[in-house]
Amino acid sequence: MRRTYLGEFEEVVLLMVAILDGEGYGVTVSQALEEHTGRVVTFGTVHNTLIRLEEKGFVVSELGGATAERGGRRKRLFRVTALGSRALQEIQQLRQELWQLVPPQSLQLSSL
Amino acid sequence: MNKPDHNAYDPRAQPQAVPPRWVRWLLTRLHPKDTLEEVEGDLDELYAHWYNRSGKTRATLRYVLNVVSVLPPFVRRRKQTKQDYEHLSSLHPAMLRNYLKIAFRNLARNSTYSLLNVAGLALGMTCGILLFTLITYHLSFDNFHPQSDRTYRFVTEQHRETISYSRGVPAPLGKAFRTDYTFADKVARLATFDDMLITVKQGQAMAKYKEPEGVAFAEPDFFGMFNYPLLNGTRATTLTEPNTAILTERLARKYFGDASPMNQLIRMNNKIDLRIVGVLKDLPINTDLRAEIFASYATLNQYDAWLASDDSWGGIVSSMQCFAQLRPGITPQQVERVLPAYVKKYRPTSKNVHHYKLQPLADMHFDARYGGAMTKTNLWVLACVGLFLLITACVNFVNLATAQALNRSKEVGVRKVLGSVRGQLFWQFITETGLITVTALLLSLLWATILLPVVNEWFGARLQLKLFSDWQLPLFLLALTVLVTLFSGAYPGLILSRFQPILALKGRLSQQAIGGFNTRRALIVTQFAISQTLIIGVIVIANQMRYAQQAELGFNKEAVVMVSLATNSKPQTQHTVANRFSALAGVKKVSLCQAAPASRSNWSTSPRYDNRPEDEPFAVNVRGGDDQFMSLFDLQLVAGRNVYPADSVREFVVNEAFVRKLNLTAPGAVLGKMLSLNGDRFKGPIVGVIRDFHDKSFHEHIEPMCISTVAENYDYYAVKIDLPMAQPTLAGLDAIWSQTHPDQVFAYQFLDEQIAEFYETETLMLTLIQAFAAIAIFIGCLGLYGLVSFMAAQKTKEIGIRKVLGSSTGQIIWIFAGEFTRLILIAFIVAMPVAWFAMSRWLQTFKDQISIGPDVFAFAMLGTFLVAILTVGYRSIKAALMNPVNSLRSE
Repeated sequence: MRRTYLGEFEEVVLLMVAILDGEGYGVTVSQALEEHTGRVVTFGTVHNTLIRLEEKGFVVSELGGATAERGGRRKRLFRVTALGSRALQEIQQLRQELWQLVPPQSLQLSSL
Repeated sequence: MNKPDHNAYDPRAQPQAVPPRWVRWLLTRLHPKDTLEEVEGDLDELYAHWYNRSGKTRATLRYVLNVVSVLPPFVRRRKQTKQDYEHLSSLHPAMLRNYLKIAFRNLARNSTYSLLNVAGLALGMTCGILLFTLITYHLSFDNFHPQSDRTYRFVTEQHRETISYSRGVPAPLGKAFRTDYTFADKVARLATFDDMLITVKQGQAMAKYKEPEGVAFAEPDFFGMFNYPLLNGTRATTLTEPNTAILTERLARKYFGDASPMNQLIRMNNKIDLRIVGVLKDLPINTDLRAEIFASYATLNQYDAWLASDDSWGGIVSSMQCFAQLRPGITPQQVERVLPAYVKKYRPTSKNVHHYKLQPLADMHFDARYGGAMTKTNLWVLACVGLFLLITACVNFVNLATAQALNRSKEVGVRKVLGSVRGQLFWQFITETGLITVTALLLSLLWATILLPVVNEWFGARLQLKLFSDWQLPLFLLALTVLVTLFSGAYPGLILSRFQPILALKGRLSQQAIGGFNTRRALIVTQFAISQTLIIGVIVIANQMRYAQQAELGFNKEAVVMVSLATNSKPQTQHTVANRFSALAGVKKVSLCQAAPASRSNWSTSPRYDNRPEDEPFAVNVRGGDDQFMSLFDLQLVAGRNVYPADSVREFVVNEAFVRKLNLTAPGAVLGKMLSLNGDRFKGPIVGVIRDFHDKSFHEHIEPMCISTVAENYDYYAVKIDLPMAQPTLAGLDAIWSQTHPDQVFAYQFLDEQIAEFYETETLMLTLIQAFAAIAIFIGCLGLYGLVSFMAAQKTKEIGIRKVLGSSTGQIIWIFAGEFTRLILIAFIVAMPVAWFAMSRWLQTFKDQISIGPDVFAFAMLGTFLVAILTVGYRSIKAALMNPVNSLRSE
């Protein structure tokens, strides 16, 4: 099965965009990341990852309308594409399949 | 202004939450422009968030850190491709297909233009291909031998008053070096003799063959150094015994057909029997050793006992070469240091001081001093000429293409409106150029194949176009195609793709817009400068050649046939044959001689004059000739008398140069004085002095010379014949000769042909430069024609208006004529000093030279003008005669 490689951080950011459901942009994604995973990253990391995800076709973006907020500067809002959601689902499914294969005692032993 | 709500992020609403200005300034300056707006907004929002949560200091710190994280080099740039419609890459198959289709249509529509382009390019490329083949051919000479970097040839510098060079060494040197020193792994002597008579028994009959490449006597180590593989026979036993030989496959088939040649006998010069002990694979074309029969060195004493003996230190002949393969780590300088000992030991008193040198095998083909066939300088000159021609062809292409550019402005306009970007248009034109180049390449390959035999004949070379068997030529062709395409397509491509669509569609492009009429003028000037330089070269070389061939040689070379003496014939037989020759109706005079007065064959020695204790410090050329020699060649006596008939050396006649070298003024002063040559081997009084004549080519000074009856050195009957009766006379000579020597082959050559061979190189250069000049002029004219056509199209309206306002046809033609007159004049001013400089240098290699007068330049310029007028005449007259109604009617 051939698919575009999706890194761990990319996967998390993509999930955040999915969670925010159309309201995702630089600030909200950073904050959600911090809130849900406890990871504090620089804004540049989030910015770069979003651009990379867009290049890979997992998200699309558009500039929101100008509002009086933040000095009239527009936001770039991200949405997950069909490709993106399929990628997430595939990862999810793969994980599930792998979990099925893990013998119950092995994880119990190691986690103890 | 809206009232901000409680958690609004508007910094203006919360004046205290403003991030530091300098950081924001940094951000606006350095962050990529296309994402600046959103990032600036996001960071402001975050700042306000941090400010509310953890206070000003921490917020500022985090803000700085995060700004840095979106500055280069950390920030990722958004790709520029996000546009409203999709751009296909120029290399997309659909685009390529489109380019090709449009290219074909354009070429088909402007068939004249395409033809001019293809013809010009193909011509240039043909020259390129042929010259490339020639140059690689020469560079490949003898490069296939194992350890060739350690293989050297011994050569001799002969220091007298002047230094002369010979590829030969004294025969015993090789043997002495091999026994005395351990520098070399292998040492082999090789004695080659041209023009051998080979007799082979075929059934009952004896078949006779004249082998012009002759026979080489080789020591066994020779085949260990030189990679000429044996087909039959083993190397270890080959060529150790006397009277054994190996020959090439080709000769084996010629002599013995399909029968096995092993252990068969061949007879050399009716004297020496050779048993075939091996067969060599045919010699490769790129080797300078052309003998196809290798006899064992032990056989040499039957052919030339003096040369084969161990004490022939006295003289060197170019036939005797010696090769050595040095042990690894031994430098040639080490070897050269020990060689003077031999001179001291074996030639202690000789005025001709030998210096033996080691010449690397790789230089053998290129060092003219030691008989190398082609100097590297000449190869460079040829390479430059080839490059020049290619440049002219490309320049021509650029010229024609830019001239065409205006006609295509509408197409470019439409394409741009439909969304073409510059890159695409550029590649479109490159594709078109590529198409023309490939067509030209195919055409030039065809031409090169057709012309190859001619080139081979000119250069005496054996070139082959190895298109598939070798990587060099295909690689060159690929590089040629790519470079020519880029070089000639880039400029027109840039010009065309730069057009403003609005101007292009309105048809309002001016000359300035399409990139400089002046560029094209400069290109034309370059082309004509090159062709005029070549024309001047042609005229000078041709004049010098004519001068050399018509100048007073000092003797008469007309109607003289040089008939080779039979090998091993006795003086008595020679006289009988000569007398029978004289009896023929068409024969005026016969002389037995060593060579004609002017000849390559050379015997020079240090003379001893008037019983002085020492040899004179100069060399004298000796010509053997009988009493008829001087009258047959019309040599003029200035003092004394001719020699009397004799069969050995009794008396000498010397030339004026000899007298001058002795610092005597009156020619009569040497009469009656004794002269000894080669020690005391030849001795006799000087009885006459003759006027100087050119005994070698005009490249050389007239050297001291003496003539005597050295019967043992005679090689030819010089026969003066009645030219109208040449055919029956030659048949008569053949009959008499073959009757006397039934076992040998009759051979003759006219003297003027022999002398013409002196000037082989010059004749070749003349032919070449003529060809190149013709090609350069032709290509130049194509360019000129293109320029004039372009001008005519540009000035259609102007000419119409001028005619309406009363211009005469003549005045209109002058618009064109004036233009190219100016260009040719400028080109001429550039070409003149260059050509003058180059040709003066060339003429300096001749001792008797013509001077380059103004007539040469005048002639070159007139010639160019004439050709140019012919080229542009038709086009400009057509433009001038056009009815103004037609050109002005439509607007």
